[in-house]
Amino acid sequence: MASDRQFERRKLVDKNMKILIVDDFSTMRRIIKNLLRDLGFTNTQEADDGQTALPMLQSGDFDFLVTDWNMPGMQGIDLLKAVRADAKLKDLPVLMVTAEQKREQIVEAAQAGVNGYIVKPFTAQTLKEKLDKIFERIEG
Amino acid sequence: MTEEKKSLLGESSLEFARKLVQEIENGNESGVEAMIDELADLRESTLFMEVGKLTRQLHDAINSFHIDAKISELADRDFPDARERLNYVIEMTDKAANTTLNAIEESLPMCESMEDSARRMAEEWQRFTRREMSADEFRAMSPRIGKYFEDSTEQAGQLRGKLTEVLMAQDFQDLTGQIIKKVITLVEDVESNLVKLIRIAGAGAVEKKKEDKQDKDIKAEGPVVPGVDDVRADVVSGQDEVDDLLSSLGF
Repeated sequence: MASDRQFERRKLVDKNMKILIVDDFSTMRRIIKNLLRDLGFTNTQEADDGQTALPMLQSGDFDFLVTDWNMPGMQGIDLLKAVRADAKLKDLPVLMVTAEQKREQIVEAAQAGVNGYIVKPFTAQTLKEKLDKIFERIEG
Repeated sequence: MTEEKKSLLGESSLEFARKLVQEIENGNESGVEAMIDELADLRESTLFMEVGKLTRQLHDAINSFHIDAKISELADRDFPDARERLNYVIEMTDKAANTTLNAIEESLPMCESMEDSARRMAEEWQRFTRREMSADEFRAMSPRIGKYFEDSTEQAGQLRGKLTEVLMAQDFQDLTGQIIKKVITLVEDVESNLVKLIRIAGAGAVEKKKEDKQDKDIKAEGPVVPGVDDVRADVVSGQDEVDDLLSSLGF
């Protein structure tokens, strides 16, 4: 049964994984934080742009990164590129949650090595699906 | 006449003055009058030339103002664009407010009914602990307790769903914030262009059209406003299209 398989897989995902949420709007960070908590992920931290996020990632043993694109200071796409260029961080799963929806932008993010791309406004269900998909690929 | 205009202190002016003195000495009134008229004409034509020069400057200034592509862009595109964006902000905030209010209106009766049944169960339970309840009454209460537990679990779950709806409705703030920031940038553009206009009108300076910097980097654009951005650029219309695009790239 599909639901049983899903349950098995979810059991494998470490709900205690450390997740960094990067967005310049605190309301969006709160929404993502609450949605993640609803999905069982309680170990989250926040940053308001790439410049703040990068040092946190470099020193903070994070397991997952959720980032916006359009932010002052360092943009999400540049953060993604910096993560992929960093020997220690290059394998960190990155999920983009952004209002940017030009095809060339999505292609650029894909080429930069993003693991998932969600456009705003999004639903709780979409977030869950994309997370599941990313974990599925990592384990598979 | 043209020679005299060019060099008022030249030989011809001196000649003219000598001739005028001579005419006065000769008592030739009509001749003097003709010469003074000629002098007045000279003066008037200089005035006309100055007016002409000013007209030319004004014309140039107006032209340079028209040439500034930014201005016509503002009028043709950016203002209607800003209007659309702000309308979209109204639409989104309206939708968020309604979603939130609906969820609250549906949650309140749930809270009330949970409160009611909890109070009723508490009263019955107290009668039981005070041993005021007969065995028959207790047997009747037992399934009600079971149902109460079931109902409470279900209603708490429903409430949780409503709270998630309220939570998700707050996402407008991020998107409207980005849109309003864009409109603020537009207002700043208008301001700087008005300053330019004042400078042109004041000093008659010709503004050179600034070369638009060609930015090759892919820049962040902010939220796509329906009817404004999606008709202009190659954008996806939602998560499904993002997924399709990514899967076409091997994701």
